[in-house]
Amino acid sequence: MRTINKLITGILLLCATMTMAQEYKFGKVSKEELSEVSYPLDSSANAAVLYENKRVRISFNESVGFQLVTDVFKRVKLYNKEGFDYASDEIYLYKSGSNDETVSGLKGVTYNLSDDKIVETKLKKDGIFKSEFSENYNQVKFTMPTLQEGSVIEYKYKITSPFIYNIDKINLQYDIPIKKLEAKVETPEYYNFKKFTTGYLSVNLKETSYGDKITITSKTRSGVGGRGSVQTSYSKNSIDHIVNVNTILSNNVPAFKEEPYSGNINNYISSISYELSFVKFPNEPIDYRSTTWEDVVKTIYKNSKFGDELKKTNYYKEDIDNLISGVSDAVKKTALIYDFVKKKMNWNKKRSVITRKGVKKAYKEETGNAAEINLMLASMLEYAGVDTNPVLVSTSDRIIALFPTLDGFNYVISRVKFPDGKIIYLDATDKYGMPNILPDRVIRGAARVLNENGTSQRINLRPIKPSANRYSLQCEIDPEGSVKGIFNVQHLGYSAHDFRIANAAKDDESKAERFRKRYAINELDEYTAKGIKEYGKGVTERFNFACEDQIEVIEDEMFFSPLLFLKDEENVFKSNERQYPVDFGYGFSNMYMINIKIPEGYEVAEFPKPGAFKLPDNLGVFSYRSTVVNGMVQIVVNETINAPIITSDYYGALKEFYNQLIEKENEQVVLKKI
Amino acid sequence: MQKKILLILVAVMLFGFMKTFAQNDLSTQAIVLDSLLTKDANAIVRSEEIIIEINSVTSVTVKTKRTVTVLNKYGNGYADSYESYSPSLKIKRLEATVYDALGKEIKKYKKKDFQDRSVYDGISLMNDDRMKYINYTPTSYPYTLSFESEVESSSSAFIRPWWPMLAYRLSVEKSTYKIVNPSAIPIRIKETNFEGYPIEAKKANQEVSYAITSVPSKLPELYSPSYAEMVPIARIALSNFSLEGVEGSATDWKSFGKWQYEKLLSGRDQLPAGTIVEISKLIAGAATNKEKAKLIYEYVQNKTRYISVQLGIGGWMPFLASDVDRLGYGDCKALTNYTKALLDSQNIPSYYTVVFAKERRDIDADFASMQGNHVILNIPNENEDIWLECTSQTTPFNFIGDFTDNRNVLVIKPEGGEIKRTKKYEPEENTLITKATVNLMPDKSMIASVERIAEGLEYDWNYRVQFKTPKDQKIHYKEKWSYINNLEVNDIKLNDNKDDIRFTENIKVSCNTYTKKAGNRLLVTPNLFSCDQSNLPKYSDRNTSLVIPRGYVNVDEYVISIPKGYTLGNLPEKKSIETIFGSYTRELEKIDDSHIKFKRSLKIIDGTFPKEKYEEYRLFRNKIKKTDKSKIVLKQQ
Repeated sequence: MRTINKLITGILLLCATMTMAQEYKFGKVSKEELSEVSYPLDSSANAAVLYENKRVRISFNESVGFQLVTDVFKRVKLYNKEGFDYASDEIYLYKSGSNDETVSGLKGVTYNLSDDKIVETKLKKDGIFKSEFSENYNQVKFTMPTLQEGSVIEYKYKITSPFIYNIDKINLQYDIPIKKLEAKVETPEYYNFKKFTTGYLSVNLKETSYGDKITITSKTRSGVGGRGSVQTSYSKNSIDHIVNVNTILSNNVPAFKEEPYSGNINNYISSISYELSFVKFPNEPIDYRSTTWEDVVKTIYKNSKFGDELKKTNYYKEDIDNLISGVSDAVKKTALIYDFVKKKMNWNKKRSVITRKGVKKAYKEETGNAAEINLMLASMLEYAGVDTNPVLVSTSDRIIALFPTLDGFNYVISRVKFPDGKIIYLDATDKYGMPNILPDRVIRGAARVLNENGTSQRINLRPIKPSANRYSLQCEIDPEGSVKGIFNVQHLGYSAHDFRIANAAKDDESKAERFRKRYAINELDEYTAKGIKEYGKGVTERFNFACEDQIEVIEDEMFFSPLLFLKDEENVFKSNERQYPVDFGYGFSNMYMINIKIPEGYEVAEFPKPGAFKLPDNLGVFSYRSTVVNGMVQIVVNETINAPIITSDYYGALKEFYNQLIEKENEQVVLKKI
Repeated sequence: MQKKILLILVAVMLFGFMKTFAQNDLSTQAIVLDSLLTKDANAIVRSEEIIIEINSVTSVTVKTKRTVTVLNKYGNGYADSYESYSPSLKIKRLEATVYDALGKEIKKYKKKDFQDRSVYDGISLMNDDRMKYINYTPTSYPYTLSFESEVESSSSAFIRPWWPMLAYRLSVEKSTYKIVNPSAIPIRIKETNFEGYPIEAKKANQEVSYAITSVPSKLPELYSPSYAEMVPIARIALSNFSLEGVEGSATDWKSFGKWQYEKLLSGRDQLPAGTIVEISKLIAGAATNKEKAKLIYEYVQNKTRYISVQLGIGGWMPFLASDVDRLGYGDCKALTNYTKALLDSQNIPSYYTVVFAKERRDIDADFASMQGNHVILNIPNENEDIWLECTSQTTPFNFIGDFTDNRNVLVIKPEGGEIKRTKKYEPEENTLITKATVNLMPDKSMIASVERIAEGLEYDWNYRVQFKTPKDQKIHYKEKWSYINNLEVNDIKLNDNKDDIRFTENIKVSCNTYTKKAGNRLLVTPNLFSCDQSNLPKYSDRNTSLVIPRGYVNVDEYVISIPKGYTLGNLPEKKSIETIFGSYTRELEKIDDSHIKFKRSLKIIDGTFPKEKYEEYRLFRNKIKKTDKSKIVLKQQ
């Protein structure tokens, strides 16, 4: 009996796979596809990719040599009007010098069902728009005609590119579901690519290969010239080689849903990228691009816009000699040079691992990209005898490179090692930066320190310790229920850094305005901010306040949360589940010390009890202490998140942590008239 | 003593420096700046000179010389150093120079040093505007940027206006403007908000010039009139002009509208016979023009979508109706023209109407010129005007919402243009009625069902939630009532009644920790679903009038059952506030020992009020906010 069951299941499965194995051919859209009203696996989808086929190959063309050819075919179902956005697409075509990518064979058809008949409308020229997008990109956009709810659209095109090293990232997931996706990448053995994937979905990739031939016709001219006749003879050469094939097959890929506080979402969307690791032609030496981290280091040092730039000293020699003359201590020298570069140089907001105009010109103009400024800094420190190494960084807007790759990096900073073994990291592009206080784009990225002997290590630039904000309120309540007092806050570490970035260039009035907005305080005066220019130290802000709506008087009792306007009221984590980590940037600790003087004629009837709770694995802690002494309500609260990143396994706990925190902070003190 | 020496040193330095630059121009130094101009400013326009030469209807040259001192990083954007171009607008000269604080030249950009890119307008799939710009990285503040350009336009339908005070936090030391008119084409001028500003104007022989000096910067204030309504602007229009190769002449809206009709609209309304037959069938059963128009509007909504393409004259002339019919898409012009063509085919007259959409702005009734940024359709029907927004697939028939309500628009008829005003939604029409049944439990939890019925502009402000995914709908309500920590949204039922323009939401919510315990007291905020969350800043010195752009009426009524084991104390007295901006009442009523009724009504009246009234309005909203979040105390038995 059981075997029969098994057999039946087997047959059923077989049938199922047979019917499932629908063939997708351009132009063969079925009535079933057109009459489908919602995506079976996700009814909230406004549109779905029914089928996508992407074929990328490096093929040989006798007149131009190797080319990168990409064929794209996509069939998309539009369930409703909200899905119509997916009926327009854009193609970016890279160009550099006289080389440019071209698109050809763009065809599109919209299919609609009308009286149970399939009606086709072709995409015509009037729906295709070409433009020069920027210096390096042309753009082709198109939009499909005659859409209705339920339409299916199809389009296909071919991109031919002379830039064979740049295989574009292949997206394996969109913000709409994909029913079936096939991608094929074919590369001749001469070009060896390394691949890396992103996202949490498993990628079903098969590697195969086949033999192929390149035929080259060569022309030979013979003859004596002059009056003699010239003969041209043709000969065909055929070269056998192996083509490596990667085939990716995905079925039922769920839509990617963005979640707040995730950091760079591109790290979570499923995709595959290819980077050239070496080129090896027959009878030629192997040309490594990157296969191991050693190669990456070698390649970058070999690059004249990196390695050579580090070695140049003439342009700053005199200035640095003067700057550090008589200073022998490595720490002091480092401080002087870092400060000098930070003050002198102005970052042009360009992220780069290599220089563009060069360190010398950058120094003269006092502006430069990240490489110019930080290689200059590394070079000067090294020149001054301080042990310094460049650190390659992939900034937060980039996908984190887990495998040896050069393309993954787009930024550079410096690491200094002092004789006592102490290590600091420096980024002179950031005017408000400090040793080990690096810009957000850097700490949220990934980094690798390079050593000239070819070795390198992955490093984590996220701060280890949480940065503190210490708040204090000293205030008193009057018999009408108004409260007035003094507010103080001290920002330390990264919190101070954030404050400086956001507010240092603002006038005091604008700085005070933040608090009026955030705390809805109207009566706010004598605002001061101290320590803004003393980098490395904290920043202190203070003001006097008065508020009328914090305390509620009901008959002969007063009710209020002792945190007053400092209490958290809204949990930012609203979703009940989560797939991706929560990225706070850095750990933080908000500490509140509050003293409230009770008005004459009142006594404390109730006040919140002390309490504390934690996130698992010491990721965070909350504590609440409360006492009443000498007619004062005293509250000390500590909200700490230790980890810069909290993985989705802990999301439920994190949401609950904030729920409880808000509950506790909103507990009431009750004062009663004596 | 030391101080004195320092002073002398400064004086000497300055003297030397003045000498070097005296013959040149003082406007490139930034050592001595007038405190009147630096106050609240991120940048100062040191000098601006615009000369516009009207050579002919197909050639207008604009020469700009502009020197801006940037005081801090927020001022970088004011050192405008770009010029846009298109097939009809050519850049002939472009140059920029940067000076340090002392006025010493530090960088120079020639035309070839400017970068080039397409201008993305944020909406269009495609347009043909491009720009050349520089990206200067400041090495220190203040610095000064001088920019010179010359552009020639073959379109003369738009003449660059004189708008010397371009933005908040930007002061102006000197700005001049001059129209040179060798062509002697008659010009028309519209000056707004000149009163109170030191402006010198000269007008003669179809030429005009303006100059203004020493204007301090302005700071933005909430609920104020739009910036353009407060600063001086001179707008110029030519009586004979050309628009992307289409010539015209006009002096008033009638002739201007006639030109638009004849040159840009007429003849673009042919429809395939099949479509006309289809439409005739569609409306066969409808009795009135209004019913027919509604069916046609819904037909357009189902058939088309909004895609913006702005190329050349296509920026002003709609696609052919037959193209929209075939492609199923178009921009506002194309979709409006198409709807009009369909209505025409059934002998229902309608008019293409030009409007400023989004932020409310009138088409200037007494200054005919190219204006507006959007197009809608007007159907005069008996005693009312029907207005159709043809770019939306979801808005109900004859509902324009706050996108184009209550403003002057240009209605283009074959015989000429006419200024009309679109529908104003009165406060009483914009209603949100919230009813709820709330159960409070002894364990601090709460369960409630809420019904919200929105009409008028409240419909507009609420109905889009239906287009979100179920997950995002839950988040939408959690955000709407974000002051309830730990809120769970358990069920959502939405009903969009487009015929009556009424949106109904039925939501079931719960919260484990709604009430707060303090000893034997249970604290309850009876206003669960309508707590005012406005936060109006206090201005010690308000400079601008108070503008409440739209009025509305919100009414709430909840029945709240109190948990077992608790008794009601005295309920607070009814609270009523009456002001010129509207009224507010809140009332709590005991139904029986375990039930109370919460009633709230808020009416806000739209209008513009003198600046002195702002503080009164702020206090009104503050009182509402405080009353809304106030609690009642239940005592344990």
